[in-house]
Amino acid sequence: MPASISGDGARVIARQSLLFIFRERTVALLAGLFVILVLISAYLGWSATSTVNAIYADAVVYLKGVGQPVPPNPVNDISPLSLMRNMSIYVSLIGALSAIVIGYQLIAADRKSGVVPLLGSRPFERATYAHGKIRALVMAVAGLMLVAAVIAVATFIILPTNPLGAVGWISLFTFFGLAFVYMLMFGLLAMATAAWARSESVGLLLPVTVWLTVTFILPSLTSNIHPTAAINPISALAPPPDTGFFHWTGWLFGPISIAESFKYLSAGLLDYLPATAINHSMVPPLPDLLLALTGSAVLAVRALMTMDMTRGDYNA
Amino acid sequence: MTENAIEFRALSQAFGNFQAVKALTFDVAEREIFGFLGHNGAGKTTTIHMLTTLARPSSGTALISGHDIVTDPLGVRREIGYVPENVRLYDTLTTWENLVFFARLSGLSDAEDRVSQALEFLTITDLRDRRVGEFSKGMRQRVGLAQAILHHPKVLFLDEPSSGLDPMGMKMLRDLIVRLNDEWNMTIFMNTHLISEIAKTCTSIGVLSHGQLVYHDTIEAVTQRFGDDRSLEELYLSVAPALETEEAA
Repeated sequence: MPASISGDGARVIARQSLLFIFRERTVALLAGLFVILVLISAYLGWSATSTVNAIYADAVVYLKGVGQPVPPNPVNDISPLSLMRNMSIYVSLIGALSAIVIGYQLIAADRKSGVVPLLGSRPFERATYAHGKIRALVMAVAGLMLVAAVIAVATFIILPTNPLGAVGWISLFTFFGLAFVYMLMFGLLAMATAAWARSESVGLLLPVTVWLTVTFILPSLTSNIHPTAAINPISALAPPPDTGFFHWTGWLFGPISIAESFKYLSAGLLDYLPATAINHSMVPPLPDLLLALTGSAVLAVRALMTMDMTRGDYNA
Repeated sequence: MTENAIEFRALSQAFGNFQAVKALTFDVAEREIFGFLGHNGAGKTTTIHMLTTLARPSSGTALISGHDIVTDPLGVRREIGYVPENVRLYDTLTTWENLVFFARLSGLSDAEDRVSQALEFLTITDLRDRRVGEFSKGMRQRVGLAQAILHHPKVLFLDEPSSGLDPMGMKMLRDLIVRLNDEWNMTIFMNTHLISEIAKTCTSIGVLSHGQLVYHDTIEAVTQRFGDDRSLEELYLSVAPALETEEAA
């Protein structure tokens, strides 16, 4: 008689799920796009610094030649970490979207394939299924973050004029940890909707709508950040107008304006948080993100544990 | 002494005010091939969903090889195999990849050996490296059967197994069911609305009408009672409409 499986079952489910979803074109496309944008972000940081350095080197030669005093290199006036500021935007845009598609596909792949009743009649607990799927999501998002981290580390190693100290490295890795939490939150939400939704399109559209609301609509309500400004790392942190309306909306909607919390924390970690930046929310940004992650995780676990295993497909 | 493979104890399922399955109470002995006959919507699939622990009964219970479907669903799942009406597997994976995955999910440490054994038993070794998405209904049905027997379950549940199969496919499937019962000592619980299928394959029969068991006996007894080849059809027509008339009244 076969033994029942628990931890092993979760590993088998996670491995199978990862193998399957990375064969899906949409997932591969978005994950590839995320990696390309991370590379662009690193290139932009490297290119801007190299250009300023090259101009500064020419200026030094010229100024010395005419006997003028040489000013300090402007590159040294800014934190080297801020070269990665575009990364915070790419994480909140394409990173979150990739996590949504991954989380959704991890469940939708089973539902669309129609194998859910076969899975449900195997000797493992529903909790093992949830555990396996969440483990697959964690591994996929961590994989994307690892690629991004390797690119960022390589950029700082290639740039000898911008060495990072110990605190800088810690901040950089903390930023990737934060980005992981942010993306994971959207992935978990997508898992929950993929398990609960009766139709395939609703399962995907629901988390995408939440992502659009959190990224573009809430910041304009709480901080007067227009959608175009929301995709600029600096203007996304502009202080809101000093009016009663924004004080109240910022305080009230701040806790659900997760993208703002993420950008605020990212700017602090990557050393480009403007001195004028204010967070009016009733919940500070870090607890806010952690609460959102916990909420998404609870929703995902509940949805996976109560998923209808009799149905072989959406709309079946 | 013959033990019971399945014991129904007032097994019921309601969806809101609609009573889909009404207090089923009967037994299926070990090594039987039990045909569960009923019209579309009679409650056969709902019953199988409860027995395979995919759905929880609204009241009552059933024991599968001594394991309670409500209090010990994990124990039940260890003892059963299930082939749904429309067998669906991961289309982009090969037969081998699909089956190894399901074998591992069943906790089998010798997953590859079990898959090879099932493929040989079902004579589908030629489908091993082909993607399931390319298969006809009949081929899918056999791969579906393979995933259900990998762990040598004591009880095999088949939901309308011959639905959509051509005559050759139906014959092949019937032979496999009989061999599994004969050579692997499996109890087979088979939902169907095809009387001919029951006559050719089953050793006992239950007739379900509007969620209620209206007849239960061995095929031998049915044949003796009615005395000719049309006995099953006559039986079905004699018990099912009677209930409908009662309900209408």
